[in-house]
Amino acid sequence: MIQGRIQNFLVIGFVALFFAYLFGPLIVMGLTAFNTSGFPRVSPWDCFTVEWFDVLMQDARLVTGVRNSLLIGIGVVLLAVPIGLAGALMLMQIGPRLRPWLYTVTISPILVPGVVLGISTLLFWDRIGLMFGAEEDSIFYDGIFLTIVGQATFISAYAMLIFIARLQRFDPALEEAALDLGASHTQTFRKILLPFLRPAIGSAAVLAFLASFENYNTTIFTIVSSSTLTTVLASKVRYGIDPSISALAVSIVFLTLVGAVIFEISKRRETRRARSQMAVARGEETKVRKQRPFLTEPAFIMFVLIVVAGLGTVYFSGTVGVEECKIAVKEQRQAEIKRKIERRQQQQMFQSAVDTQSQSSSDQEDSKVTAKGTEGYQSVFSPGNLQGEIETQAEEEQPVKGTEGYQSVFSPGNLVSPSSDEPEEEKPVKGTEGYQNVFAPENLSNQVPAENSGN
Amino acid sequence: MSFSNYWRAFFQKNGATLALFLIIAVGTWLFMMIILPQLFMLDFSIRANVPPPKFGTEEHYYTLEHYKYMIFGSALSTDSFNIIDVTVFFRTIGAAIFVTLIDVALCYPIAYYLAHSATGGWSRLMVLSLIVPFWINEILRAFAFKIIFGSTGVINNFLVSIGILDQPYDFIRNDIALWAGLSYAFILLMIFPIYNAIESLDKNQIEAARDLGAPWWKIHWRVVVPHAKPGISSGCTMVFMLTAGALAAPQILGGPSSLWFTQIIYQGFNQAGNWARGSAYAIILLVSCIVLVLVMMKIAKVKFGEMMK
Repeated sequence: MIQGRIQNFLVIGFVALFFAYLFGPLIVMGLTAFNTSGFPRVSPWDCFTVEWFDVLMQDARLVTGVRNSLLIGIGVVLLAVPIGLAGALMLMQIGPRLRPWLYTVTISPILVPGVVLGISTLLFWDRIGLMFGAEEDSIFYDGIFLTIVGQATFISAYAMLIFIARLQRFDPALEEAALDLGASHTQTFRKILLPFLRPAIGSAAVLAFLASFENYNTTIFTIVSSSTLTTVLASKVRYGIDPSISALAVSIVFLTLVGAVIFEISKRRETRRARSQMAVARGEETKVRKQRPFLTEPAFIMFVLIVVAGLGTVYFSGTVGVEECKIAVKEQRQAEIKRKIERRQQQQMFQSAVDTQSQSSSDQEDSKVTAKGTEGYQSVFSPGNLQGEIETQAEEEQPVKGTEGYQSVFSPGNLVSPSSDEPEEEKPVKGTEGYQNVFAPENLSNQVPAENSGN
Repeated sequence: MSFSNYWRAFFQKNGATLALFLIIAVGTWLFMMIILPQLFMLDFSIRANVPPPKFGTEEHYYTLEHYKYMIFGSALSTDSFNIIDVTVFFRTIGAAIFVTLIDVALCYPIAYYLAHSATGGWSRLMVLSLIVPFWINEILRAFAFKIIFGSTGVINNFLVSIGILDQPYDFIRNDIALWAGLSYAFILLMIFPIYNAIESLDKNQIEAARDLGAPWWKIHWRVVVPHAKPGISSGCTMVFMLTAGALAAPQILGGPSSLWFTQIIYQGFNQAGNWARGSAYAIILLVSCIVLVLVMMKIAKVKFGEMMK
C-alpha cells in the first residue's frame, strides 16, 4: 500500500517535472517580454512594460519577413494539399507490389534533413534555369518560388498522411452507388469524395501552413536573397538578442491560443449539430435547440470579453508609470553603485598605502620617485598596481556617463579571466544592460584576483 | 501489354480529368521535387567546383575531390586527416544519438502514463498541452533556452542564490543548453509514436503479468516494451534524423567552440561559396544517417513495414 503510494507520488512528480520542462522556458521567455531590461531576463525584475511590442512593430525587416512568410505559407497550402490528396488517392489504388515503394519514396522527405531538401531544390532549379537560359530575375532564382517548392516537398507528405488516415474510413460503396446512378467521375469526386474529405482538407491546410510558417532548415537555403520571418528571427537571435523577440513569441503564442479556442468551440458546435440531426433522423421527440450564429455563441462572447479585458489591463499597466519606474530603478542602481565604489575606494586607498610601503622598502628606483612628493599619483602608475587601479577609475566614471556596461566589459579584470559568454550577450544596442554586469557575481570574483595579482 | 492495360483501367476507374490530375500531381511531386533534385545534388557533388557559366564544359569534370576533402583535408594542410570536419561529423552523430536516448527516457514514462493511467478530460488536456509548445517556432524555442541557460539566466540565478554554485555555470559553452534545446525540439515526435503503440496493448496482458508475480520493471521489459518496439523505433528514427539535420538550435545554442555538421554545410554554401563541397557534405550526412538507422533497425530486429503503421 505504502509502496503503491510512493510509486504514485513518483509518477506524478515525473509528469509534473516533464511539463515544467515543456512550459518553463516558454513562460520565462514570455515574462521577459514585459521587463524593461534591455537583455531578456526575469531576475532582477525592473519594470513592467509593453514597449517591446512597439519596438517589434517598428522593425521593418521583420514586417517584410512576416509578409513573405504569409505569402509562402499560402503558396505551400495551395501546392501541398492537392499533391498530398493526389498522393493518398494514388496510394489507395495502386497495386500491392508498387505500393510500398511509392509510400517509401513519398514519405522519405519527412525524414531527410531539411538542409538536404533545401540544397537539392536550390541546385535543381538553378540547373533547370540554366538549361532554359533563364534570366537572373526569373522565377527559377526567385527565393519565394524556390521556398514554396522546397517546403511543399515534405509538407505534401504530411498532408498525404492526413488524407490516408481519413480515406481508410471511406466506404467505396458510396462512390459505386453514385456511378451506378449515372454520375460522371468528376461529379462523383466533387459530390461524394470531396465532402467526405472536407475535415481532412481543413486540417491538412492548417498543418501545411503552420509547418511552412515555422520552417527554417529548408528555407535558409532556398530563400536566396529574400527573407522570411524565421530567417530574420534567426539572424536577430544570433547577432544580439533583445526582449522584442520575446514579445514576438508572446504574440505568436497568443494568436495560437485564440485559434485553438475558436477551433475547439466550432468543433463542439459541429458535434452538437450532428447529434441533434441524428436525433431527428431517429424520429425522437427531442427539443432541437436552434443554433445561434457563431458570433453570438455565449462561450465565444465570454472568450472575447475576457481577452479584451485582459489585453486592456496589460496594456494599461504596461504603459502607465513605466518611465517613473525606470527612473526609480535607475536611481536605486546608481545608489548601489556609488556605495560599492566608495567601498572599493577605501579598499584601494588601503592597498596603495600598503603598496607604497612595500615598494619603498624593496625598490630604490621607485622610492626616488616617491621622494618627489607625488606619492598619490605614483601608486596609480606603478606597474604592479595597473590592473586594479584602472578598474576603479572605470567604475568611478560610471554614474556620470550612462554607458557604464561597456567599460566593465573591456576592463582588464574581464580580460584576465573572461568567464562565460557575458561579453557576447551584453553587446546589444541598448545602454542599460551594463548595470547588470556590475552586479553579476562573476565580476566580483574576476576583480578580486586581478587586485591580488596587482599587489 | 499489362502496363497499358493497367493505365487504361486507371483512367476508367477515375475518369479522364481526375486521372490526369493524379498523374500530374504525383508525377511532379515524385520527379520534380523528390527524385530529380536529389540526383542533381548527387551529380553536383561529384563534379569540380566551377562558377555557373562553366557548367557542362570540360572544366566541370567528374571528381571525388569533395568527398576526399571531407576525410583527408586539403592537399596543402600538413595533417593526414581533415580533423575539424571529421571531428564535427562524429560529434554531431554522437550527440544526436545521445539526444535520442534522452528523449526515449523522457517520453516512454509519459507515453505510458498517458495511455494507461490518465483518463478522460485529464488525458485530453495533457495531449493538448503536449502539442501547444510545438506551435511555436523552432527558433523561438531555442531562444527561450538561451534565455534560461544564459549566465544571468533564471537557472544560474537560482543556483547561485540558493548556494549550490558560487559562480554562474556556463551551460552554453558546455553544450548543456544545446542538448536540452535539441531534446525539447523534437520531443513530440517521440511521444506520439510510443503512445500509439502502447495504447494498442491489451491491459489484460499487464494484469496477467502482475498476477503472476512479475515486478513492475519486468512487466515493462517483457510485456510493454516488446509490444511498443515499432513505435519506439519510429520515434527514435525521426528524432535522430531531425536532430542530426537540425540547424537552428545549434546555431543559436551552440557554444563558440562546438559546431554542428549542418553548420559546416551551411558555411560551405553561404560563406565559402563552394556549392559542390556543400552538396557532397549534405550527401555524406544523408547517407550516413540512413545507414545508421538501418543498422539500428537490424540490431533491434524491427521491420520497416511495421514501423510505419
